This record gives sequence, structure tokens and C-alpha cells, in this order.
Amino acid sequence: MERSWWWKAALYGAAIVLAVLYLVPTVAPNAELPSFFHNYFNKRIQLGLDLKGGLHLVYEVNIEKAVAGKVDRLANDVEDAVKKKGADVTVTRSGRDDITLTFKLPAEMAKLDDEVLKPFRRELDVVSRDPANGTVKLKYDADRVAEVEELALRQAIETIRGRVDKFGVAEPTIIKKGTDIVVELPGAKAAEFERIKSIIGRTAQLEFKIVDDGSEYMKKVAALVPKDGPISVVPESWTEKHSGTQHEDVYLRAKEKDRDALNKFIAGLTGDLAVPNDREIALELMSPREVTEGTPDRYYRTYYLKKRAGVTGEYLAMADESWDEMGRPEVAFTMNRQGANMMEKLTGENVGRKMAVILDDKITSAPVIESKIGERGRITMGGYGDPFKLQQEVKDLVGVLRSGALPAPLKKSFETQVGATMGQDAIDKAKVSMGIGALAVILFMLIYYRVAGFIANLAMTLNMLFMIAILAAFEASLTLPGIAGLVLTIGMAVDSNIIIYERIREELRLGKSPRTAVDAGFQRAFWTVFDAHVTNFVAGIVLYSYGSGPIRGFAVTLLVGIITNLLTSVWISHWMFDILVNRRGTVRTTLSI
Amino acid sequence: MAEQQKFFEVIKSGTDVDFIGTKKYWIGVSIFLVLLTFVMLPINAFVLKDRGHVLNWGVDFKGGTELVVEFSKPVQASQVRAALSAAGLHNADVVKYGSVNTNLSFMIRLGAVSILSDEQAKHVETALARVGDASLRKFESSEGGDKIYLRFDKNLEPKAIAAALQTAGTESTDVQPFGPTQDSTYEVTLIGMDSMVRKALDAKLGAGTVKEIPQVSSVGAKAGKQLQVDGVRALLGAILLIVIYVAFRFDFRYGPGTIVALLHDAIITVGAFAVTYREFSLTTLAAILTIIGFSMNDTIVVFDRIRENAAKYRDRKFDKVVNHAINETLSRTILTSATVFFVTLAMNIFGIGVIRDFAFAMNVGVIVGTYSSIFIASPILIWLNDKYLALQKRQSARPERNVRKPIRRDEEEATEP
Repeated sequence: MERSWWWKAALYGAAIVLAVLYLVPTVAPNAELPSFFHNYFNKRIQLGLDLKGGLHLVYEVNIEKAVAGKVDRLANDVEDAVKKKGADVTVTRSGRDDITLTFKLPAEMAKLDDEVLKPFRRELDVVSRDPANGTVKLKYDADRVAEVEELALRQAIETIRGRVDKFGVAEPTIIKKGTDIVVELPGAKAAEFERIKSIIGRTAQLEFKIVDDGSEYMKKVAALVPKDGPISVVPESWTEKHSGTQHEDVYLRAKEKDRDALNKFIAGLTGDLAVPNDREIALELMSPREVTEGTPDRYYRTYYLKKRAGVTGEYLAMADESWDEMGRPEVAFTMNRQGANMMEKLTGENVGRKMAVILDDKITSAPVIESKIGERGRITMGGYGDPFKLQQEVKDLVGVLRSGALPAPLKKSFETQVGATMGQDAIDKAKVSMGIGALAVILFMLIYYRVAGFIANLAMTLNMLFMIAILAAFEASLTLPGIAGLVLTIGMAVDSNIIIYERIREELRLGKSPRTAVDAGFQRAFWTVFDAHVTNFVAGIVLYSYGSGPIRGFAVTLLVGIITNLLTSVWISHWMFDILVNRRGTVRTTLSI
Repeated sequence: MAEQQKFFEVIKSGTDVDFIGTKKYWIGVSIFLVLLTFVMLPINAFVLKDRGHVLNWGVDFKGGTELVVEFSKPVQASQVRAALSAAGLHNADVVKYGSVNTNLSFMIRLGAVSILSDEQAKHVETALARVGDASLRKFESSEGGDKIYLRFDKNLEPKAIAAALQTAGTESTDVQPFGPTQDSTYEVTLIGMDSMVRKALDAKLGAGTVKEIPQVSSVGAKAGKQLQVDGVRALLGAILLIVIYVAFRFDFRYGPGTIVALLHDAIITVGAFAVTYREFSLTTLAAILTIIGFSMNDTIVVFDRIRENAAKYRDRKFDKVVNHAINETLSRTILTSATVFFVTLAMNIFGIGVIRDFAFAMNVGVIVGTYSSIFIASPILIWLNDKYLALQKRQSARPERNVRKPIRRDEEEATEP
């Protein structure tokens, strides 16, 4: 054997060993192996959504609504500003980004001067002023529209990611595709599909509302609560830190399992005792650790809230973990300029009261406002529970605050849900078809090309080995079309060998010796095989960029298969032929091909 | 010197079939098949009442919902259809699913994505005109179909809205305020199509008839349209890229033949789906893209030999060279196609769901692809070569007019092997 043959032997041998090592975690996930092994080779093939079961969702962000909402808020601000100057004006939004101001007295139109418009000049353009009718038309700046769209999409992805992380699904994928958001949750339980979809698609709102403590209304309600029932009345009190003012309040409480009874009681408040229009009663689920007296069960308590949200989450710029003087975890947040103004106004007027932090209509906490909160605020978590749990709670709240509300409703444009049984059935069927296909090809090659056919089969097997090892190394997901790609590669793997072998036969027919014929065959057929691989590769790349989900899985296996095939069917099989034709001491006159 | 070896051969060496001489018959067959495809599309859409679309679009292209339903007892497709129809899900497409012939599992395809059909939406809007003491100002259902937005003139309890919806025959999983409280706008999340189908079937066929709904997919109509457009674009993009590569590796005369051959393969494969009215899904499109890559394999094998022989036998007529090359490569063309054909045939017979459609497309495509490299790509190459030679002759007839001609000729010879 020539020296180069040995070099190749070492190289190919190393590649095979490496491939086998990469396959171990996939093939034998529970094998007991030294820990250093697991440090290097821990990646394995994941089953795709169609095999493992799970949810595949594509959402479109309703950007129109995001823009409209933004314009609505601007319209409110302009209205406030003009009214402050004493003009009577009605402000309406028409279309998506047009605002019309109609002054009751056309003469008052002058009050919409540069001073009023100054804070809005970057967002609103004055389109026309009609002194006769007293109307002014404003338009939302077109550049801003694009900005809002971009922001809405990015924020929506973050929001969804924040929510999905809570499901505990192993490897969620949330990616942007054009203006769509693709969410993949392999391994999600079929029973939870409906719930997951409802949570992802929810247009959650973060709100800060003031608790109306010490109200006469709640006292009246408390008096109505039947004694010895599931609902109890609890008085509470706290002292304002700076002024020392005493706050007293009553709330209703029920054990977690008695939530319905509590809700029913509240819903039953009608007539004189109906909840006033500008107030609402909301519940918070309290954990035992937040109670000093140590009630063992979790329970719900009520808050009597001012209905209009003082500030909403959209003005939140940032939220982060932080620690108070006592070293207890808390949430620190930063509002943007506008939000800071609103927050300052809201908290300044309500020092000493409680402010409920509400996400998706559920109160997450209701701390006492100890001083005016401006741009920066803190949310302390009550209770003296397990510090680790507290830490976790803070992390969760930071996550919620950061992800916050969806900037716009989501429209679901695609959905695939696959139960786990479906996947198993598919895997079984795919195994059968793959086995039969491979067997047919192997037999054919053996009969038709004999020893050379054996080499081709060996090369094909190595091709499979490399392919699956590479897929494992990249932690690629194996989908149903991906399996089709694998099977197809079996067919294509022997194709290259057929092209080469036919060429070798031609050379032999010309009367060349096996050794020259093999070399000439491989050399001449190489570019044909190469070109064929390139065209397949091009088609594979187009397929990858066009498709999504399972189709991508197919494209990936196809692309990987093309590369490994070039290696195995051209170079490795050539190397194996060298053994056949170069055996030491003998000169072969025939070739089993 | 080695002795002459005998091989196991399907195509004997020295075979000499006159492919090029009889090309007009073969091209005739191709034209017929392509025309058949183009005729079949409108026939499907307008003539055959039970088809109704140019192709049997899968939900990913057409939009709608596709469910696989497993029953706990055998049922008839007609019963399923009737049960769905009774619940307002008309024109459901119900076919047996899986290879086991037990009437236990069916695939149901519905045009709707949402449980809220247009008429049902109108009905709900009227029914919710007044809820409690609030009246409905605005009713909006999202295009994706899983949500509706309701704006009232007064704030309401979400529960009251859910109850009103229930009375109107529409079930929701979640009702909650949307936007600022003073807007009195509520977002309603409706139950999914699968819950609706389960209810409809259990109601008519007895509770517990539906064992499981293991697979549901739904696609909005707009997204489906977009996929169709993207699909055609991807197909043409792939063809263009391949042709650029071929023109670069061979020379420009080899380009047009491949374009026509690839289009031919794609069109006839689509035709097979039009005639059999099998489901044309995203996977089918993936198969066609694969076919295009694969069909090139055969074409390249033939073209490579043509180029090699053209350099070797410069004195022979080009069409003879081509015919000889096709014959020489005939056995590898047939063998390579056969291996892929049988592998995909195994998938077609033993596979499931999308794998089957994929395999069927591949089966058709492999045959057509092999055929096209011999009978379409090669004749076009000959025709272009003749035109090219004629052009060269005309140019050399007036040498003094074209000063750059000799240089061009040198270049030409340098690139020509």
C-alpha cells in the first residue's frame, strides 16, 4: 500500500470514531459512561414537533391596532393639553393615524398654539387648519408608524417568550419571520394546547391601580358576609411611614378552594350595594408565607380598587431585580418620561395608600406607596417566606414586567398541533419504509456490482452514520419530512457510486487494467458527481430558505446528506477500492464490479 | 493486458437506440402531458363538480383546518359528515386516515379556521346587541378567527359577556377587558375548532365516540395565499440558480435546455396531482424542489458525456455525438433513477401522511426527470448548437466588418474542451 493510503486510513478512521462518539448520546441516552465523556458528547438528535407531538403556531401581529392605540393615546394627551388652556374641544381619531380637533368656538382655535403642540411636534404633523369650522387636522408622523410597527413586533416576541418560558416546555422556539412570529413548542401536552394558546395569544395588560382603603362601601359589604361561611372578614391597618397617618381597611378572604363562593358573593352585590361604576373588587391569591399568623392554606383576598388604571405597563422602560436595605429581593423599575409624569401624579396623590400591580386582571402584589414614585420605583414583595422562593417570585415579576403586555393583538395565521400518539405511529411507519427502501437498494447493489456493490453499501452505511452524527452534533430536530430526506439520501448515496462504477466498467471494456480503470473511473466521474451534488445543494438551500418547520427539517437532512455523500461515495469508496486493486504481491486481472 | 470482463448488465454496452432521430414523437408525448396539465387545472376547477379547485390544495395553501380524529368505535364517513353538518360545519371533507382499514380514524378538512362562520358572526352580533344595560358599539372578529373584540358603551363583567355568547351558541375560553378600562372593550378568545368538532361528533354519534384528536392544523386564508406565491417564487428561483450554475460549468448553450427540462418536470408533476387530485401541500412543493435538484443529476450525466465526446469526435455531426452520449450513459441514467424510484416507492407504499404525498411526487418526478434529460434537454441543446454554428458561419463570412472576431474565436476555443 502507498503511504498516502495509510494517511487516509487514519483520517477516515478518526472520522468514523468521532461520528460514533457523537451518536452515543442519541442511541444510548442512559448508558453509564465516565463524566468527561458527557462533558464533550452530550448533544443528541431531537425529535421534531411532528414526531414528538407539540404545538406549532404562527402569529401575525395586528400592527394596525398598535398604531391606532398609540394615536388614540396621543389624541387624549392633545385633548388634555388644549382643555388645560380652557378651550372646549372634541378630539376624534379617524382612519388609523388622523386626529381631528373640533373646537366649539372657532375663535378658540388659536389656543392650539406652538406651545401646546411642542411636546407632540415629533409625533404629530398639522395637516390643515380650518378657521371657519374650527377644525384642525393632525396626522401621525409616517416615520413613527414604521417605528411603532417595528417596536410592536419586537415587543410581541419578547412578550411571547416571557410567557412561553413559564410553561416549562423543554425547547421552545420563538422566531420572527417577516412580520410573523413563529412559536414552536415540541413536547407540549395535548391536554394543555388550549390553555397554552389562550395564554400566548392573550393581550395582557399591566396596570397600576390605587386601592381605595377605608371606604364606607367595603364596611357595608363586610357587614353582609354571613358568619361561619367560607368567607371571612379581616380588618387590616398600617401606618404611613413619614406622616404617621393610620390607615384602616377591611377585606374579604376565602380559602383557595372557596374562590367560587367569594366570586359568587361579589357578583351577588346588586341594587344599593352594587359595586360603584368607578370602582371594582379584585382578588389576589396570597401564599401562606405572606401571612404572619401562619394560616396553612393559600387564600384569596379582595381589594377595593379605583377602576381607572392610573398608569399602564406601556410606559415601563425597564424592570430589574434589586435588594432593599434588609437584603430582601425586590423589583426595581424605570418608567419612561411620560410614564414617570403619570406615575408621579398618581403616587403623589396617594401616598400611604396601596397600589395594586395588576397583570392580566390578576393582582400580583399591592404594596403600600411609601413616598412619591417618579421615574424609578420599587415593588417590594411582602412576607417573610423562604428567601429562595422570594427570589424566584421577584424573578417572575421582573419577567412579567419586562415582557408586559402585547403591544397589539395577535392574529393566529397557522397552527399545527400534534398529539404524542400520532408521532409514535409516524415513527413506526417511517422505520418500516426506511428499512424496506434500504434493503432493496442494498440487495440490488450486491447483485448488480458484487464486491464493488459491497463497497458501495459500506459507503452508504458510513454516509448514514456521518449524517446522523452531524445532525446530532448540531442538535437538529428530526421531522417526518426529515426522515424522508434520510431515505432519499440512501437512494442518492448509491447513485454516485453507480455513476462511478459504470465509468469504471467502460474503462475496463477498453481493456485497461483494474487499477488504471478504477483510477480513471473515479477521476473522470468526479466532476459529473460533483456537479450533480451542487445542483441538489442549490435546490436544498432554496428549500431551506422557503420552508418552515418540518420542511426545513427536510432541507437540513438533504443538505447534510449531500455533503457526507460526496465524502463517502467518492473518497472513502475510492480508498476501499485501493485495497481491492492494490493488494500486495498480486496483480489483479479482473475486478468484481 | 486484462482479459475482457463480463458484467451483469441491464442495458448491454454497445446499445444504440436512435433517440434523437425519433425525438419528435417523444417531444410530442411531453407536449401532450404538459397540455394535459394545463387543461386539467381548469377542468378540475370548473367542470368536475366534486373537485372544485385547480388542485386539491392542502390546508397550508388553501387555508382552513385539518384534523385527524380517532374514534372509539367504527363510524362511516357519511355519518361524520352529517354530524358536522348538523353543527353548522358544512362541506366537510372526510377521508379515511392511516393504512389500517378499520373506519376508526379519519381526516377531516374544513374550510373554516374559526368556529365563528360569517353567518354565526352576524347572529352573535345581533344577539349581543344588548348585554345587561350596556349596548354593543362595535363588533370585530379577528381574521385569524380565534378572537373577537367587543366594544360596549358601558363596562361589563366579562362573565356576563361569556354567558351571553354561550346563549348565542358560541363558546369562549376567555373573556377579558382590552385596552384602557374606559374603552369598555373586551377581548374574547373562542374555543378551538378541535373542541367544536369533538362536540359536534359526540353530540350526534354518542358521547365518547371521539377517542382523540391527535393532530390539528389550521392556516389562515391570507397566509395560504402568501405560501402559494412564495412557493412559485422558490421554484423559479431554484431553477434559475441551477441554470446559472450549469451555464457556468458547461457553456451557455447548455442552459436553455435545462430550464425547459426542469419546468417540464415541475409542470408534469403538478399535472399528476391535478389528474389524481391528491392533496397538494407544502410537502408536495418540497418534493418538486427536490425533483428539480434530482432531475439535474441525470441531465448532468448526459451533458457531461456530450461535452466529453464533442471534444473527442470533432469531425462527427453534433446530433450523432449527442445520441451516442445518451446511449453510453443510458445504463447509469436508468440505474440511478431506478434506485431512487424504488426507495421512494417503498415510502409511498409503507409511509404515512405527508411522507406518502412526498413519495408519490418523487415517483412521478423521477420518471419525468429521467425522460426529460434525454428527450427534452438534449434536443434543445442540439438545436441551439445548430443556431450557434450558423451564427458563427455568418460572422466569418464578413470578417472585415468585425475586428474583434478572431479574439473571440480564440476565447471560444480556450473554453471549449
